[in-house]
Amino acid sequence: MTEQQENVPAQYVAARLRRMLAEDPRTAEQGVRVTVRGQQVMVSGDVASPERREQLEVVLREAVPDMVVHNDVRIVRAGEPTDREELT
Amino acid sequence: MIRIAAVGDVHLDETVRGRLRPALDHVHEHADVLLLAGDLTRHGTLSEAEVVAAEFGGLPIPVVAVLGNHDYHSDQQDDIAALLTDSGITMLEGDGTVLRVDGHRLGIAGVKGFGGGFAGKCGSAFGEPEMKSFVRHTAEIADRLGRALKDLDADVRVALTHYSPVPDTLRGEPPEIYPFLGSYLLAEAIDAASSDLAVHGHAHFGTEQGVTPGGVRVRNVAQPVIRAAYSLYCIEP
Repeated sequence: MTEQQENVPAQYVAARLRRMLAEDPRTAEQGVRVTVRGQQVMVSGDVASPERREQLEVVLREAVPDMVVHNDVRIVRAGEPTDREELT
Repeated sequence: MIRIAAVGDVHLDETVRGRLRPALDHVHEHADVLLLAGDLTRHGTLSEAEVVAAEFGGLPIPVVAVLGNHDYHSDQQDDIAALLTDSGITMLEGDGTVLRVDGHRLGIAGVKGFGGGFAGKCGSAFGEPEMKSFVRHTAEIADRLGRALKDLDADVRVALTHYSPVPDTLRGEPPEIYPFLGSYLLAEAIDAASSDLAVHGHAHFGTEQGVTPGGVRVRNVAQPVIRAAYSLYCIEP
């Protein structure tokens, strides 16, 4: 993304970043949200590892170097379930 | 009692190899079968599928799976399915399998599924060829699911898909993208076959519980939704 971010409506910036995170092979994440508020970019959702969480931030910072990126992504748990559901 | 473990959207590659295995090593103590609801890989490559085979292969209970859209990304879906089959995983796409569990016959039919939207708010096979192709793809898949479910000679029928048959389990996702997350045609097929449970993934921001218009319980087992290595469902035939 090369255009001046301040001249681009936030919705378009968020949409382009969201598509980028899905289509860039370094991230390939469809299951994350991107929210743009002024010069702030928030990314949230769940990924499988700390490395994938970090990679989302790397790709975003590359795309919008002049914006502030907040990484709210969580690592999904992979432990045994604590309960079970009885379908009666 | 039939005990079903299920998870979808594990998105494995080399960087997360072994991540689920500590929990899976005990899955047979809690479940009779493990269902995988697609998006097993990240980019749909064979090397990623090898990680899936190592993660889910060799378990002491049967593992039954469908592929998801990520598993199609590199156009190697057939090779991925073959590799996983070789590792002992039963791969379903328009067909089914029947397992003997606790004296009962558990039938599982599976398809990847596709989008299209939900009753009253869905696409139609009309207009441009791309639109017709999109909707027909879903309709053909739903037909195959319906036939596979009806063909199961079983006491309990479970439908396994990647895409969702109902909007209920999508709550939390933006409503604008529901047509890309599932199709009511899948639910119609599930209801027509008097199924007992439908399991799907794909919707990471969705919710776990839903129900079809015909009253079949639906569970979204996308790993970000269930926040565990798998979920457990018990059915008394």
